[in-house]
Amino acid sequence: MHDFNRRTLLGAALALTATGFGTLGFPGPALAQADIGRAANFIQTTGQDLVAAINDQSRDIAARRQRVSAVLRRAVDVDGVGRFIIGRWWRQASAQEQQEYMKLFEETLIRNLSARFGEYQGVRFSLGRSQQRTEDDVLVNTIIERPNSAPFSLDWRVAEIGGQPKVVDVIAEGTSLRLTQRSEYSSVIQRNNGSVAALLQAMRGQIQQLAAREQGR
Amino acid sequence: MPLLAAALLAGCATRPPASDPESLAEYEQTNDPAEPTNRRLYAVHQAIDQYALRPVAVGYRAAVPQPVRTGIRNVLGNLRTPVILANDMLQGEPRRAGDTLGRFVINSTIGLGGIFDVAERWFGVRGHAEDYGQTLARWGVGEGPYIFVPVLGPSNPRDLVGFGLGIVSDPLSWFGQGAVVDGLVYGRTGITVVDTRESLINTIDDVNRTSLDSYSTLRSAYRQRRAAEISNQGEVAPAAAGSTGYGVGTGMDQQRR
Repeated sequence: MHDFNRRTLLGAALALTATGFGTLGFPGPALAQADIGRAANFIQTTGQDLVAAINDQSRDIAARRQRVSAVLRRAVDVDGVGRFIIGRWWRQASAQEQQEYMKLFEETLIRNLSARFGEYQGVRFSLGRSQQRTEDDVLVNTIIERPNSAPFSLDWRVAEIGGQPKVVDVIAEGTSLRLTQRSEYSSVIQRNNGSVAALLQAMRGQIQQLAAREQGR
Repeated sequence: MPLLAAALLAGCATRPPASDPESLAEYEQTNDPAEPTNRRLYAVHQAIDQYALRPVAVGYRAAVPQPVRTGIRNVLGNLRTPVILANDMLQGEPRRAGDTLGRFVINSTIGLGGIFDVAERWFGVRGHAEDYGQTLARWGVGEGPYIFVPVLGPSNPRDLVGFGLGIVSDPLSWFGQGAVVDGLVYGRTGITVVDTRESLINTIDDVNRTSLDSYSTLRSAYRQRRAAEISNQGEVAPAAAGSTGYGVGTGMDQQRR
């Protein structure tokens, strides 16, 4: 009996601290538990922001794209995804290379995603089912509908990063963006005899191409 | 097949030494011991694709209006029923087998020979794909090393065997002989290839444009997607999955809900 009371008290105290951290927005413990409802809300809001930015007819394409990238920068855990993707090669890179990689990665990711979403004129989306994947991330499903093409499903992996929900992966048809890109980058480095510099050079080349394409529109 | 085997023997990737556990782990994870050969075959495929497959698919998209293309895709999917049904049953999935059979009956009749997917639109029964490669996987057969086959796309020994079983087990390939039957069989194969490639135009354009190494992007995407299809999780299976590796793999723009 005594024991039971003590346990409930302890539980209540823990719960209180947890909600306290949650509502005050303190950065929780390193592996904060993800909350399904919170993750779904976050994707709902972010999705609405994105759709509004994409379909904003009052702006030209460049301004729209800028608005899209602003939303993405806010919503995506760019640093975490970048580190995940370069994986084991991070330690082989010099401090300067690491810094440059992060810069190039952010630019590539944001440019690629905003170019792709930028083409989704007239897009609508709806929230599907969300499910807890692991202790610290939640998979939120969305259905994307575009005029004149069949709807398709996209899953967003959301984790708590520094007390804020952030997108850490996008999954289409069972294919994870970050896993695919990790294998791509690693392959580039390996085929250049383990040179991270070669990857950075390829990324710079790609950013130039993307920029040229954006100009071309 | 002998040609393939010879090609596989010709070029093998060097296995990293045990002293480098991280490289070794990645080498095993990648599962592509014949990478140099596969890359050569991929280059061949890219040339064929650039000059034949993609232009034909683009022309098809331009010439044939979307409702007609959807009808064609529905018919192709309906024709695949025997293979899908057999695999639903071989995997011990009575509910999915029931869906497949019910769809076939309804779409072949009310849906005018499968042109209209009435089963989904009116009855809410969505189509799904299955193939012998997936069944073999469910029975515990490993995928074996990654193989890239020109025109067919990314694959592996298990899925190639499954692909062959799919052809020989298809009742539509059992009946009749003569020019008309041959014509129909080849015609169906040809349309399947064009339809599949058309469904992948945007996806593959994206990969070619944004990937620093499209070969490894496709390899990774194919293997992840196959794993998801085999587990029947999520909403992965396209109704009219074609018979090519890409078709069994990646119709990203197809309806899934």
